[in-house]
Amino acid sequence: MRSSNSPSVPILDGATFVRSLEGIHEYRLDSNDLQILLAPDATTPVAGLMVTYRVGSRNEAVGYTGATHLLEHLMFKGSENFNKAKKNTIWELLETKGALVNATTWNDRTNYYVVVPQEHLGSAIALEADRMRRANIVEEDRQSEMPIVRNEFERGENDMMHALDKQLWALAYTAHPYHHPTIGWRSDIENVSIERLKKFYDDFYHPDNATVSVVGSFDTEATLAAIIKEFGAHDKAPVISAAIYTVEPKQEGERRTTIKRAGHSNMVAIAHKIPAATDPDTPALLMLAFILGASKTSRLYRALVDTVLATDVSTTCYQFRDPSLLISYITLAPRVRHEAMEKRLKQEFQNIISKGVTAQELTQAKRFLRAYVASRRDGPYALLETLNEEIATGDWTRFVTLPQALMRVTAKEVQKVAKKYLVDDQSTVGYFIGTNA
Amino acid sequence: MKNEFHPAQEFQMPEGGRLFVAPTHIHDVVVVKGSVLGGRNMLPKTLDIVPALTADLLDAGTAKRKKHVIRDALAGKGISLSFSSSGDRTEFSGQCFPEDLPLLLSTITECLGGAIFPEAEVKNAKALALGNLAEAKSNTRALAGYALSALLYDTDHVNYARPIEAQEKSVATVRRAHLQDFRKKLGKGGLILAIVGDTTVTAARSAAEKAFGKLAVGTTTAPVKQSNKKIQKENERLIPIADKANIDVLLGVGLPLTTQHQLYHPMLVLVDMLGGGVTSHLMQTIRERDGLTYGVYASLGGLDAGADGHFKIWATFSPDAYKKSVEQLRDEIDVFFSKGLTEEALIKRKEEMTGSYLVALSTTQNLAHSLHTIGANGFELSYLTEYPNIIRAVSLSDIINAAELIPRDKLSLAASGTFKKK
Repeated sequence: MRSSNSPSVPILDGATFVRSLEGIHEYRLDSNDLQILLAPDATTPVAGLMVTYRVGSRNEAVGYTGATHLLEHLMFKGSENFNKAKKNTIWELLETKGALVNATTWNDRTNYYVVVPQEHLGSAIALEADRMRRANIVEEDRQSEMPIVRNEFERGENDMMHALDKQLWALAYTAHPYHHPTIGWRSDIENVSIERLKKFYDDFYHPDNATVSVVGSFDTEATLAAIIKEFGAHDKAPVISAAIYTVEPKQEGERRTTIKRAGHSNMVAIAHKIPAATDPDTPALLMLAFILGASKTSRLYRALVDTVLATDVSTTCYQFRDPSLLISYITLAPRVRHEAMEKRLKQEFQNIISKGVTAQELTQAKRFLRAYVASRRDGPYALLETLNEEIATGDWTRFVTLPQALMRVTAKEVQKVAKKYLVDDQSTVGYFIGTNA
Repeated sequence: MKNEFHPAQEFQMPEGGRLFVAPTHIHDVVVVKGSVLGGRNMLPKTLDIVPALTADLLDAGTAKRKKHVIRDALAGKGISLSFSSSGDRTEFSGQCFPEDLPLLLSTITECLGGAIFPEAEVKNAKALALGNLAEAKSNTRALAGYALSALLYDTDHVNYARPIEAQEKSVATVRRAHLQDFRKKLGKGGLILAIVGDTTVTAARSAAEKAFGKLAVGTTTAPVKQSNKKIQKENERLIPIADKANIDVLLGVGLPLTTQHQLYHPMLVLVDMLGGGVTSHLMQTIRERDGLTYGVYASLGGLDAGADGHFKIWATFSPDAYKKSVEQLRDEIDVFFSKGLTEEALIKRKEEMTGSYLVALSTTQNLAHSLHTIGANGFELSYLTEYPNIIRAVSLSDIINAAELIPRDKLSLAASGTFKKK
């Protein structure tokens, strides 16, 4: 073992130390460019392991929307050395030891994670490395798993906000693949072939398209050695996957969508186009979203819930690799008309555009930000989850730099981004109309 | 596997209160989870909405400060605080920085002891409650839950949930005076308070004693719960709603079981074996083998505050496969109870439950929640560390005895969604 400048950061043959930021040590595996993040914390008896693949529904196209997510399900069916025949699937090997085991898929990434009593971390590393390139992707499993995924799709359709959100993205994006939902269109879920899923696996599941993160209680040197051994068995991708080059054409006017379904609830949502997560305007946009709809002291809560025009409000600034959306969702109180709510919501946007935000609002936002930053370290899962989304944007160091940038945001900058992005011609308005309401 | 938990200490508070403090290594996070006696079980059924409305309005103005002054003061410090209500208790949850713990606790007691429920706020809260009840009328999971409750419990039982329409009528009849009267029941009586995170025992104890010492006594005893008088028999209730892509299904039966029952822990293990994770019997068969659902889960419910509760299974099915799926679910429940109670399955499940307990307690939020639950259930603090040993001690004969408590031929079904015509 060689040593780095920091005595707590081991250097082993086979991996190159890249940097350390706030207790997170980055390495790159020499043989195949796998990115490794280690965040040891001896104060907890459990450890968390996550593999993030830089592939999501943005990598899909017509006919195989939802493929990333369906493949994620098939990845739990077994691999060459961990499978039902050997009675050591991930469930048998790790869930039976109490591990939190799951995976998620979104626009820009797919992640697999386990949080496990520390003595089982080695098994988790071996299993994740095995299924990175030796997963059994077979037709028999596609047939049995497809109805499960379809039922997951059906569950989502039962939810008003989920259904409206899907329509907003589909209308806001006409060319870019953020147009389609991560779970896919129903007919694609039902009909995508096993050959397409296998190709998807072979295109994207390679060490040079992934990050392995380990957090919590573990021996740093032994864990790094295990990662080098297990993941080092794989070669780089033989062919670099084609980059997504589709750029969403400029929107030239407000777009509108309506869903009418049986039900007693009503919603209005307005989505505005915003830049990619790594854009310099993102910190101010996040502050804007917080001030608009993140708490009981937010603009929209006071204007709409405190006045009983709405039963719930929220504003989300999505941070994706490509240009994204800032969406305000409003659940209407009984007898409130959609048109009136839309007008009221736009008036609140206009208030910020014309008058800006107050020093008190910015102070509150920054104080809550400090609380959020602290909560990211509350257990291995919280840290993994946050790192995962930053990895997906293409720059994990945002975990450190974004809070710093947020603390520097000024009231003028919030007003400036409100003026720049809360523009009607760049918006998509959605109504959910419950026909029993 | 070692049992490694952050050390928690317990201190007696006045009027039977219990304070749990667990300093952990996390930086800048202090989590508060607590409750005082006072809930819907202490009111007539027709007023069961009052505690929830009260909880909604506890921070909406006190004798000292107006709503926005209270909320801005908390927000200015990055403090989160929310109130809610359960059967016997009015609960609160909060998070703050270490230096703000006294402010958070004093705000909680200011609200509990001094909320004034301005008339305009009461009117607004009632309107919002009606809005939330209207939303529930389209929620298949909620509707199935209401229906199952009516099938399993007699109308006087604390776990009987009145229909949405009856609750709407109650909301209309509630007056400000109802909330004011109920608020007077809230005091330091029966306080359960867990403070976990970046704090010290001395700081937490001092802040808690100072804040809660000022409160009136309030309610000091919880009502004795009457056992369920409903005769259990196989019933079915379908609640059709148009335009739903998924059907929520609940199967359940009332149990002669409380958290103090000698078979409570064996029952926990048994239910987890049936439907507690991907390796459980129902997930392995109904989901993994048959592909009929995204998820099927077994659990115990209604055991809060010493009440006798129920056993239930929740699954979601496609309308196209609803009938077949329900039949298969019932068949697999029978298979589990006739063939699934084995020593091998028990050993695996016990290891899973003790391991997942350790994983769950690795967060400040979960540790605070567990400590509060220990207090609310009347368990000793040692339960926190003894739980894994209690689970490990469960034997196969315990499981078989627990299974005998579940009358499987009397499982009732409640389902909501869009049902296909025959």
